[in-house]
Amino acid sequence: MKKTIIVLLVALIACTFAFAQGATEAPAAASNEPMTITMLYAATATEVGPIPADWEGYAIIREKLGINLVLQQLPSASADQDLVVQTMAAADELPDFITVPSKKVYDDLVAKGFFADVTDDFAKMPERSKVMFGAGSKAYTTYNGRQYGFATPSSYVGNEGLLIRKDWLDKLGLAVPTTLDELYDVMYAFTYNDPDGNGKDDTYGYGAFVESYMNYEAYPGRRFEPLMGAFGVEGTFNMSADNFGLKVKDPAYYDFMVFMKKCLDAGVIDPNWQAYKKDDFRAAWKQGKFGIFREQNSAYANTNNYKPFDDNFPEGGFIVVDAPIGPNGKQSVGPAVEGFRIFAINADCSPEKHAKIVEMFEWMSYGEGYMLCGYGIEGKTYVLNEKGWPVPSAELGDYSYDKSIGQTYVQLRNSSFNYVDPVETNLRYPGYITATSQKYMSAGEVLIEMQSKTWTPAAGMNFLPSPSTDVETFYRQGIAEFLNGTKELTEANWKAWVDQLYALGADKWEKDAYEYAKNGNFLQ
Amino acid sequence: MRTGKNYQLSAEVDNLKKRLKESSPEEKEAVSKQLKAKKAELRKAENRYLWAEINRHKYIYLLLFIPVVYYFIFKYIPLWNAQIAFRNFVSLKRTGITGGQWIGLANFKEFVQSYYFWPLIRNTLMYSFGKLLVSLPLSILLAIAIYECTHKALRKVVQTLSYLPHFLSWVIMYGVLLALLSPSEGILNDIIKLFGGTPKGFLTNSTAFPFIVILSDAWKEIGWSAIIFIAALMGIDGSLFEAAIVEGANSWQRVRYITLPSIKSVIVIVLLMKIGTILDAGFNQLYMLQNDAVLGIGDIIDTWVYRGTIQGKFSLATAAGIFKGIIGMTLLYISNWASRKFTESSLF
Repeated sequence: MKKTIIVLLVALIACTFAFAQGATEAPAAASNEPMTITMLYAATATEVGPIPADWEGYAIIREKLGINLVLQQLPSASADQDLVVQTMAAADELPDFITVPSKKVYDDLVAKGFFADVTDDFAKMPERSKVMFGAGSKAYTTYNGRQYGFATPSSYVGNEGLLIRKDWLDKLGLAVPTTLDELYDVMYAFTYNDPDGNGKDDTYGYGAFVESYMNYEAYPGRRFEPLMGAFGVEGTFNMSADNFGLKVKDPAYYDFMVFMKKCLDAGVIDPNWQAYKKDDFRAAWKQGKFGIFREQNSAYANTNNYKPFDDNFPEGGFIVVDAPIGPNGKQSVGPAVEGFRIFAINADCSPEKHAKIVEMFEWMSYGEGYMLCGYGIEGKTYVLNEKGWPVPSAELGDYSYDKSIGQTYVQLRNSSFNYVDPVETNLRYPGYITATSQKYMSAGEVLIEMQSKTWTPAAGMNFLPSPSTDVETFYRQGIAEFLNGTKELTEANWKAWVDQLYALGADKWEKDAYEYAKNGNFLQ
Repeated sequence: MRTGKNYQLSAEVDNLKKRLKESSPEEKEAVSKQLKAKKAELRKAENRYLWAEINRHKYIYLLLFIPVVYYFIFKYIPLWNAQIAFRNFVSLKRTGITGGQWIGLANFKEFVQSYYFWPLIRNTLMYSFGKLLVSLPLSILLAIAIYECTHKALRKVVQTLSYLPHFLSWVIMYGVLLALLSPSEGILNDIIKLFGGTPKGFLTNSTAFPFIVILSDAWKEIGWSAIIFIAALMGIDGSLFEAAIVEGANSWQRVRYITLPSIKSVIVIVLLMKIGTILDAGFNQLYMLQNDAVLGIGDIIDTWVYRGTIQGKFSLATAAGIFKGIIGMTLLYISNWASRKFTESSLF
């Protein structure tokens, strides 16, 4: 019996080593077969599901490029995306071609040697380089003077804006607010003067949820930037060369806090703002819970996104307004930063596979590859109009690329769209007549209007490092407690809190950010 | 593994041992040889019996196989991998489990020296003990109530309804809680407003938040937790109750003097097992419910570790996991000892 137990134990221990060390890699395919390339992609429309198995692109890519493409989709939440990629890296299970979800993950994995050096590959992508790889893009992925990823535009600069319910303004006889005081009065009226006329006390002036990125739109985050802008404290950092540093130490930040507290105490901000998730917030404005908020052009005006509001309030509507002017003449919708999406090649790829990935990525950016990834298949997901542009069509039913099934066939848009071509913008945001109220809407025109408002130039702020977990927690928790009233908001308490923030490590964060900004020529 | 023959052999071995002690030096060698031979015979007999028993209950052992494999893969292999807590681990290929630079207790120091270490410990223990103190008695009460209910249909409906929330994820539960507690349109605040009160942001209020966490956990889990107690109650000899009724015992007296003492050992085992995982305060729940306004009271070790893991700090996360395991094991031993001493029931 003892022998049996010993044999079993030895077998178990042997298995332990085998499991712990991971499986060995499968041998490479024969050279005449298509080369298998695995790709981790971020879906363009997360709510409609992954690319279907019958996507024609698989066969086209195999035939044209000799690549057997295997796709894996990232989850939709940004924190989950970071975790998935970090876990894949720790297990050495990263695909060959990776959409890196955040700069933080990119910096960490480059330092650990997971991504291949692609500095010399830009020259092999002339078409993509024409529209995507400017100095800002390359600076975004530079590490010790080399690039380890391709940073492509991920959004239109200035694609968000401050929206106000125009029908509520008209009903209450209010003018469009231009100053912070006027905005406060409108918020107050929207909260207490029954703007929807239903006889109930069920509306608020301003609505938001917490969407914050510590390195450039720190807590309370993006949705409050137009209010912060009125005090000149929009964005996490002051990027000026003479006065670089965290805006939270600017005395004007305390003035902003006082204003926020006043709004919260008066009940003119939807009190759910800290509890709302993104979907709750979007459902709330579509249900007419509040009349002023900052929103993204497409999330506001695209067909599917605007429809619930249109159904609920056929007589309702919004206008895009400029950010309010503050007591010292300051005004900003928020920091204008160029957003990038990073694509990286696994450092473990063979030189042949590396070259194939570069070839495929270039192919996706123009001609047939661009059309396939961006619009799908002619006659199935789009038709060509008289100008030869690929446009959606009602005749294609749900397979049209602007409909739920059709959207699944163009989930790789993020790999091909360039965000600079006006035709692309036009196709991405086509004008349309809403189903219920029969009014004209265009997310493209909304985008242009939003971009025309007052933004703060902040190139490179989103490249700056994030703080440690403890500093981030202290920062977020502290501001939340002041706003909630858990901590009394007085100048002395505020100063003590800022001092403690710096004692905890904000000074190191600021120094690191300064070095990064200086080396990247982002100081203003 | 004693059968009739084994008992006989065992007795013979005992006799020989006795003889060996008492025998003269001349006899010792012969007795020792006899003892050795008898021991070998006994061992063979015991092995034969063991394998015969395994063969006889082979399907039961087959059922055991799956959990053994599960525990081996998910609980024992990670013990080997846990050494990355003491190393600079990068990945399985780059450093492997054993190849990372040995950094000793650096990760443990980083965790313990964190500004939030004590708040994290306080919050974690508060939620763990809070849930234990609220959910355990409630699930025992629910089990007794279901067991005592004589209306069969009502019993089944209550039992099913109390299980249901267990199968809802915390994402859905958060939506339900928001609908109940939202300051603008939550049902609870509607009631407060009806009586002239001011709406409260319960989910963003640091005083209310711990109660919401503990009570929502109880709501979700007591039905499921009651299953084990219902199973224990089913095992009580019915004649005890019949005798008690004949003697004039009322319902409360039957519960107090028959039901509770009969399931005491199960209660102790469940309590001890929960104490063993006392630092698992409910990651899914806290991760969903917490927001910046209640971070001071809502952050626990697991959510802090999760934020570290997002930053790729797997060694630090493992160190925190080991820390939790050591605390849990220590508490389990202490509780087990105390339980054995004071209640005569224990896990081991």
